[in-house]
Amino acid sequence: MITIYISKDLPLIIIENVDYVYPNGTVALKNINLNVHKGEMLGIMGKNGAGKTTLIRTLNGLIRPTSGDIYINNENTNSKSIAELSKNIGLIFQNPSHQLFANSVEDEINFSLKNLYLNKEELQIKTNEILKKFNLDKYRDRSPLNLSGGESKKLAIASIICRAPEILVFDEPTLGQDAREIESFIKLINTEKEKGKTIIIITHNIEFAFEFIPRTILMESGEIIADGPTQNVLNNNFLTERSSLILPQTRQLSLALQKIGFQDINKAVSKNDIIEYLINFLRNKTTSVQEE
Amino acid sequence: MSLEFLNAFKFMKKESFLHNLDPRAKLVLALTYTISALLFNQIIPLLIIFLSLIPLVIFGKILKQWIKSIRGLSFLVLFIIILNTLFLSLSFAIAMIFRICIMVSAFSIFFLTVDPNDLALSLISMKFPYEFAFSFSLAFRFVPTIANEAQNIIDAQQSRGYEMQKKGFINQIKNLFPLLIPLIICSIKRAFNVAEALESRAFGSKKERSYYYTIKFSLKDWIFTIYLILILIIFIFIKIQFSVMPDWLVWRLPV
Ligand SMILES: Nc1ncnc2c1ncn2[C@@H]1O[C@H](COP(=O)(O)OP(=O)(O)OP(=O)(O)O)[C@@H](O)[C@H]1O
Ligand SMILES: [Mg+2]
Repeated sequence: MITIYISKDLPLIIIENVDYVYPNGTVALKNINLNVHKGEMLGIMGKNGAGKTTLIRTLNGLIRPTSGDIYINNENTNSKSIAELSKNIGLIFQNPSHQLFANSVEDEINFSLKNLYLNKEELQIKTNEILKKFNLDKYRDRSPLNLSGGESKKLAIASIICRAPEILVFDEPTLGQDAREIESFIKLINTEKEKGKTIIIITHNIEFAFEFIPRTILMESGEIIADGPTQNVLNNNFLTERSSLILPQTRQLSLALQKIGFQDINKAVSKNDIIEYLINFLRNKTTSVQEE
Repeated sequence: MSLEFLNAFKFMKKESFLHNLDPRAKLVLALTYTISALLFNQIIPLLIIFLSLIPLVIFGKILKQWIKSIRGLSFLVLFIIILNTLFLSLSFAIAMIFRICIMVSAFSIFFLTVDPNDLALSLISMKFPYEFAFSFSLAFRFVPTIANEAQNIIDAQQSRGYEMQKKGFINQIKNLFPLLIPLIICSIKRAFNVAEALESRAFGSKKERSYYYTIKFSLKDWIFTIYLILILIIFIFIKIQFSVMPDWLVWRLPV
């Protein structure tokens, strides 16, 4: 296991020896140990059924560990209700139609805020603010059921972010999204990150993880089998094969180039780095050809 | 909250005397017990009927799930006790609880031990139209899916601060909307998807169907059914002759 995150502060989330067994006997989490620091962005990857969703459901108390402890802000979560925990931890599930129900987009946001027991004025101000921020104010009076897939996803996210939780947890946010939607999602998480939010993202989208998530844990059969910088974790052939992951094409390209002698391409990690590297290389090559 | 108790109605393949019976015999079982439960409203007869279910459940190897289904009723039980003791008497309330438990058990035994595929076949053998039989077994098949979906909806709403327990009757009703609306909408969407999937496999294109599996009403099914009918006759006899039955049968709580 590769763990290189060392910080003097106490982690925001501490998961200690957590096991979870579903009532039907399925062992979904086995001895999970994980620390997440404030402001960190963490990816969770792994095959279908690896236990990713189960793990995040333990964070806000939707399910309680069969054994082990979870501390958030240094407080054990087992004595707190789901409602209390969700103020701090916003879980955003995959399917927006599992939560949209109100008469209008505005009411949908209001519902989330109401549960925070704000007064009327605060409620109105906050709702306006969030609708603007998510570009949803033009749909204010529309039924959430008539929104497009991307828009309803946005609304579902807005209905959690409006509660301003310190930790945001997404379950497969990029699933079924087109490139533009993914881009706007990336923008959104970057803004939240700049605000100092801690972000956890479950994803099967390896290109996305490679480019935007600094640290990743890999899960298999309820265990964490690797934890470290995304590039290191995902560069490990042994691990990716075990988790049925296929490396991003750019990574495959750079590995192939390394094999034939381009050692320094290893430093280029993101897609843009590699493009730049190749452009520079070709430019140097053409200039040297011209000089000859 | 967990919807675990719905598993108490989910079929699991097992080898037992109950599992090996024909679905129709088990339907007779469910109906016999339901009718018997409706015949009486005194504690002792209902208690006897209830207890007579226990050997069935044990030999049918479904004790665990059955206990779960009874436990799942606890909310309803509380409701019945409160309503009935307020308006009627505690004795009556307890009798009604046994009645509910018997009826739920009867159907939980049925659903736990009848393979959904056999269910469709047995409906067809009882001359129901194929479309009806198929829809029925399909609905059956979707119970766990819907339970799963309901759990996801509860999770999603609780994650945005929704609280399951609210004070006051009106509030409790209002509080159901955030769960029911998504559930209904998702179910309708799924129904359309299933319909399309069926049509794209040419469902209903031919009137004559052949069947891969067959079911047979064998000797043990006859014996079991006759036994059930005998029991039912005895119960009906007791009911008719109730006035001349010994006192302990009509025993009531002293309050
Ligand atoms: N409600 C449940 N009851 C019983 N077992 C469950 C339940 N939910 C999940 N499981 C089982 O627990 C294991 C972990 O499931 P989980 O949903 O956490 O996986 P996942 O990593 O999120 O997978 P995916 O990538 O498919 O979403 C699986 O074996 C799954 O079948
Ligand atoms: Mg999952």
